[in-house]
Amino acid sequence: MSYLDKTIAEIKLSLDKNETTVSSLTTEAIERAKDYQEKLNSFVTITEDNAKNQLDNLDSVKDSPLKGIPYALKDNFSTKGILTTASSNILKDYVPFFNATCVNKLYNKGAILIGKTVLDELAMGGTGTTGHTGPVKNPWNAKRLIGGSSAGSASAVASGIVPFSIGSDTGDSIRKPACYGGIVGYKPTYGLVSRFGLFAFASSMDHVGCFTRSVLDSAIVTDAIKGKDEKDMTTFDSSNINLTANINNDIKGKKLFYIKELVDRNNYQDDMDEELDQILINFDLIKEKCKNLGMTIEEVSIDKNLLKAIFPTYITISCAEATSNNSNLTGIIFGPRGAGDNINEIMFNARTKGFSELIKRRFVLGSYILQKENQEKLFLNAGRIRRLIVDKMTTLFKEYDAMILPATGSIAPTFRKEDIDKLSDRYLLLENHMAIANFGGFPSITIPSGFVHNMPIGINITSGIKQDEKLLNIANKIENALTYKGQIAGGEN
Amino acid sequence: MNYEVTIGLEVHCEVKTKSKMFSPAPNNYNENPNENISEIDLGFPGILPIANMEAVRKSILMAMALNCKLPEKMFFDRKNYYYPDLPKGYQITQNTKPVGINGYIDVYVADKVKRINIHDIHLEEDTASLDHYDTYSLIDYNRAGVPLLETVTEPCIHSSEEALAFLDSLRRIFLYTNISEARTDRGQMRCDVNISLAKKGSKTLGTKVEMKNINSFSNVKDAIEYEIKRQSELLDSGEKIVMETRRYDDTTGKTYRMREKVENLDYKYYIEPNIPPFKITEKLINEIKEELPMLQFERINKYINEYELSLYDATILTKNIETALYFEEVIKKGVEPKIAANWINTRILGYINKEEININDCTFKTDDLVELIGYINKNVISTKQAKDIFYKCLEENKKPSIIIKENNMEQITDTNAILSVIKEVINENLDLAKSYNPERGRTVDFFVGQVMKKTKGKANPKSAMDLIKEELLKLIQKN
Amino acid sequence: MITKELLKDYANKLMFDMKDEEYQTLLKEFDVILKQMDLISNIEGINQVEPMTFPFELQDVELRKDENIRTITKEDALSNTDSKMGNEIRVPKVVE
Repeated sequence: MSYLDKTIAEIKLSLDKNETTVSSLTTEAIERAKDYQEKLNSFVTITEDNAKNQLDNLDSVKDSPLKGIPYALKDNFSTKGILTTASSNILKDYVPFFNATCVNKLYNKGAILIGKTVLDELAMGGTGTTGHTGPVKNPWNAKRLIGGSSAGSASAVASGIVPFSIGSDTGDSIRKPACYGGIVGYKPTYGLVSRFGLFAFASSMDHVGCFTRSVLDSAIVTDAIKGKDEKDMTTFDSSNINLTANINNDIKGKKLFYIKELVDRNNYQDDMDEELDQILINFDLIKEKCKNLGMTIEEVSIDKNLLKAIFPTYITISCAEATSNNSNLTGIIFGPRGAGDNINEIMFNARTKGFSELIKRRFVLGSYILQKENQEKLFLNAGRIRRLIVDKMTTLFKEYDAMILPATGSIAPTFRKEDIDKLSDRYLLLENHMAIANFGGFPSITIPSGFVHNMPIGINITSGIKQDEKLLNIANKIENALTYKGQIAGGEN
Repeated sequence: MNYEVTIGLEVHCEVKTKSKMFSPAPNNYNENPNENISEIDLGFPGILPIANMEAVRKSILMAMALNCKLPEKMFFDRKNYYYPDLPKGYQITQNTKPVGINGYIDVYVADKVKRINIHDIHLEEDTASLDHYDTYSLIDYNRAGVPLLETVTEPCIHSSEEALAFLDSLRRIFLYTNISEARTDRGQMRCDVNISLAKKGSKTLGTKVEMKNINSFSNVKDAIEYEIKRQSELLDSGEKIVMETRRYDDTTGKTYRMREKVENLDYKYYIEPNIPPFKITEKLINEIKEELPMLQFERINKYINEYELSLYDATILTKNIETALYFEEVIKKGVEPKIAANWINTRILGYINKEEININDCTFKTDDLVELIGYINKNVISTKQAKDIFYKCLEENKKPSIIIKENNMEQITDTNAILSVIKEVINENLDLAKSYNPERGRTVDFFVGQVMKKTKGKANPKSAMDLIKEELLKLIQKN
Repeated sequence: MITKELLKDYANKLMFDMKDEEYQTLLKEFDVILKQMDLISNIEGINQVEPMTFPFELQDVELRKDENIRTITKEDALSNTDSKMGNEIRVPKVVE
């Protein structure tokens, strides 16, 4: 087994004992990135030169838990001097001159950036299939997708190229691909990690987070990138939050809950299949494990209509904000200049050429939602639903320590276009519930919990705002009670 | 036919700060393009706005000066539209909760008080500037992100005089409060005019015509007057006014159609999610209130009521706060207000206007004026001498007392000294003296002139005259 | 009633165009999405709720102090544009 296959904490120990070197780790990570690229398409850019430069300058970096650890970064984070495309043709040649705050922090901690990963174009999508350089494959089965939008970051960790990667999560863009890839995906409390340098999708729901192969690693990475940032007004002082140090606290007596309507078989009579059946069986198993760990777990009922409104609410808010956030993409200051004789033509042509069809459809929808005549009924009502849901959750988090649920209602889908009924309960309830955490900025983590049809599945755990220590603490204990910690996709199953 | 004109103004004014509204790039006038910029101003992917505390403070101060209602929390909205001077594709402004609503200011239009109602005042960021050439335009982002305060009046203005009086007062407030330099020559203050004409007595307003971005007050006046004439003529000949946006050209003095307003553009406003609401606390309000000086209108009234000055004098004295404070300091040191006003308005303002300096940079300080006026009051010097001393003080940068001493200008007020000169002059012109007739003044004038000549103008003319009359009377009675 | 023409108008106002068949897809998508959206408006008591913009209320929001001036270089600012002249970005003549 290669040292690269280990978790961050383990690799660090090996580095300290001189069992391996930073240089060989980095070299191997880059080799794997290249080797797997054809099969998985995880990367837009493999940043070999940058890695070399970082290695050359590593002596000046003071020791940290991430010093010398190779990592991958979603290609919607600004990197100075390194191509950053957001997987869109409209930014296909864009080379930023400044770093995202989290990139600077990782640089200063000595983590080695080995590549920029593919995402759904402009992070708008959940399949990992819409990037301008092609779809990302699932390392567990290349006929299946890994999910998105942080697709390449998920596949890079799931396939063992890097022990951790950075992603962004607006609806479930870290936690869903983490589930499909059998790894840990964590989105901290809104404002714990600075968004400066993250290309905005829906600013009020965008989060920076990470993929790792253990909960402890997520704590280590997040401890390194969190903190109040003068460049992001929505960040808060978190000097009193120490995720790594609290990861092994006693969890006996902690109270968990799950939402009855999301796991009630009666709600899925029309949509039931073996896959869903197995996922629900797995969830029952996890509930038992939680009880065995000394926690209580209770069923909570929430108005099904409110739950079914989660997805439309998410679509409404995210598309509306995205339309505005991407209005800077006109090809004037950056990006390919559109052809034309007048100013409107050049903007028009740059955008017509630069965006894929899916993005355009989302923008049209977002614009429709924000229009004066529709704003009240769509945009503002979505904001009202958002409040109802968040208020409900906030009340529950006063009574309970965390919410636990199956991360998704299915395993990673195949690339074959399937006609999913987007009005079905299964789609509206179980496939898209994780956006709850984005509505309220709640910390939320997905950890692997088993396999169905040889594909990984996961559970999602969510806590109240700024309860990240407790959340990772609980997730860590559950992870230890299971057997999937540190797992890497073995190739085609 | 007679029409009533109704005008609403939207005035943009740049706020004086060190850095921009949402970025740490410098906010100062720079002729060299693209030197005052940051990635935030250019809307590069991944940037976030960081609101400037000083700009927010100043916006609250202005809202107070305009008697507006403040919101409980400060937050911003996005105004979405595409234009090459707008890098992000949206402008961060205030739509939902402007920093001030429902305010007013009172202004003097000629000698009448007019209340101008303020719909709202909001804080926003300026756009980039475009320089146009024959076949292309160049974009300079220095101005992009400069904090702007937009003041929107109700349609309550009914003449170009009222519009101008309001604009002038507004500008004075920006200067009084140090919120802005409000220099129209640098485009720091720009004005949109909405104007409509309706038949006298009509209860509904006429069709609104908008004139955008007029960059000087005199142009605002000319544009309004041109529009009144143009629209009156159209209405007189039975034509309809089209709702449209027009441009004022100051070379021709005419307005031209820019675009017809077929539909109102939908800016798809929504709350800016990257700037968390900032509480305007009682403490902050009180702190800022401390910074609000007495403004021009109140000062004018105070000067008229307490100091019995004319509206004209009061207005001139209060044009800028430095002059007003200078005046008030002089008053406080015991000078009679009317005399102080006279001196400041004629001599001092005349001088600083000619030299184009601020009154605070004038070397003739309040103490000097108090001293100088004191000498006049004590008959040490004459008013005419005082004028010469004033200019000598400025020229030589010396105190009045020094100038007086150096030039030996003290008046002779000692009666005996004057009397001896008078006697001398009478003896020299005894025949004339004997012919003195108290009914006719000419003889006295002659003797006063002689006495002044002998004393080189230092005798107090009033005392000299009284004494001469006395002496001449004695002389003819004796005979 | 959502029509293709309407969608085209929306798209054009966002400064782009789509292919004919793409508008057809979008029309169908609108049908589903608007049905999903109906779920939003049908929640009981929704009118009494204040719309939410921020995930939670941040305490002690601090605004930026008006100091520590920072700029970027003209070279960086112009490094990604396809058309510049001197120190400025060049575009076809903008006429109002």
